Amino acid sequence: MENSRETGSTNDGDASPRNANYYDIDDILVEGELVPVVFYKSANGVKVDPSAEKDSVEEGAKVELPFWLAQELYLRQAVSLSIPTCFNQNTRREIQADAACVDLKSRCPYFYEFGCKIAPLVGDRTIGKMLLSTFQMRYKEILTKAHTTAYAPASKSLAVLTKEETSLHEAARSSMAAFKKWRIGGPRFQRASVLGRKRKSTE
Amino acid sequence: MAGQSDPHISLFSPQEIEFMAEDELVEIVPNIRMDPLNFISGDFGPFFPQIPAKVPLWLAVALKKRGKCTIRPPQWMSIENLTHVLEGEREDQGAFQAVPFHYIEISRLLFDHARDDIPDIYMVRSLIEDIRDVRLHKVETNLEKFSATSAVKISHLSAMEVNVVRPFVVRSLQAFYKHDNPVVMADLDSSSDIQPQVRQPQVPRNAQRQPLKRR
Repeated sequence: MENSRETGSTNDGDASPRNANYYDIDDILVEGELVPVVFYKSANGVKVDPSAEKDSVEEGAKVELPFWLAQELYLRQAVSLSIPTCFNQNTRREIQADAACVDLKSRCPYFYEFGCKIAPLVGDRTIGKMLLSTFQMRYKEILTKAHTTAYAPASKSLAVLTKEETSLHEAARSSMAAFKKWRIGGPRFQRASVLGRKRKSTE
Repeated sequence: MAGQSDPHISLFSPQEIEFMAEDELVEIVPNIRMDPLNFISGDFGPFFPQIPAKVPLWLAVALKKRGKCTIRPPQWMSIENLTHVLEGEREDQGAFQAVPFHYIEISRLLFDHARDDIPDIYMVRSLIEDIRDVRLHKVETNLEKFSATSAVKISHLSAMEVNVVRPFVVRSLQAFYKHDNPVVMADLDSSSDIQPQVRQPQVPRNAQRQPLKRR
């Protein structure tokens, strides 16, 4: 863990990929996404659901846990994971119909990252393919919007983008905007703020 | 080398690109006598009145501002050549015409500082703007064709064009690579962007190779 803190953001062939994004706020948020699980074993003294009456979880209880907890319990074989709602058949059908219009943000703000994390655990190979085809279809939309709306923030179309897509869009938009600003020109030299001030008397 | 302005997305600001373009050589006709100038990049001069000399663009602009020289616009900045390039760009939608690597920056600097040295400046300026717009549009249509690619080769892109699309291209290529690669998918549960170093510089590097050949 210690050595990965140094390279947290650059992530250059890190020895411990588990903690490569240790300081990455997005990575932390991805792991907060909820996963439906079924407990294999009963657990005393835990209260996963705030509305539960007892401080225990019975065997066979169906609960939604954040990914980081679900993953650890799964590795200890205490729970079984099922596929989160944002990757279920309904969503897939909608994506197949027209990926560009699906509001992925409300379903899961970190759709792609979360998909990558959950796929090996639930052992569903189709998730990876679905992510790729989704991105392929939505990619073009992001591109054209980013370059045409270099100045005006287009609010409506951006609302359906996931966090990953938003940052992609923002990267394209800001570089295009910087180029346009440079092209138009303006004062080449800016006056330093310390200049032109009236000198204060030192007394 | 990464951009200083925003290390997070490794983007050069347009001003930085312009700074790099100022190292390109242009021909000036001085109207003063001056001893040779010895710089790290080489020796320039000596300068005699009315004898053309090759100097970096930044020096040319500095001399021009003081009224010590006139700048000779580069060969490619002639109306015939630009018209030819523009026609080529419009006819061939797939490929890009070979233009100087820093044509956008050089032309902007000359238009700003040496407008009286360029014949038919309005024509030249509008031609260059047309070329730039056609090419940028072509870049965009090229990018739209991406799907599940992990490497791209586009010849004859200029510095500014590469820089404008760099952050977007880098990220989308990373995403395509990641989702298209079952091996990466499998052993990554928390390492989100494996091997960004390998993928990252590919488009810029291919494109930047072009001017080196021509020099």
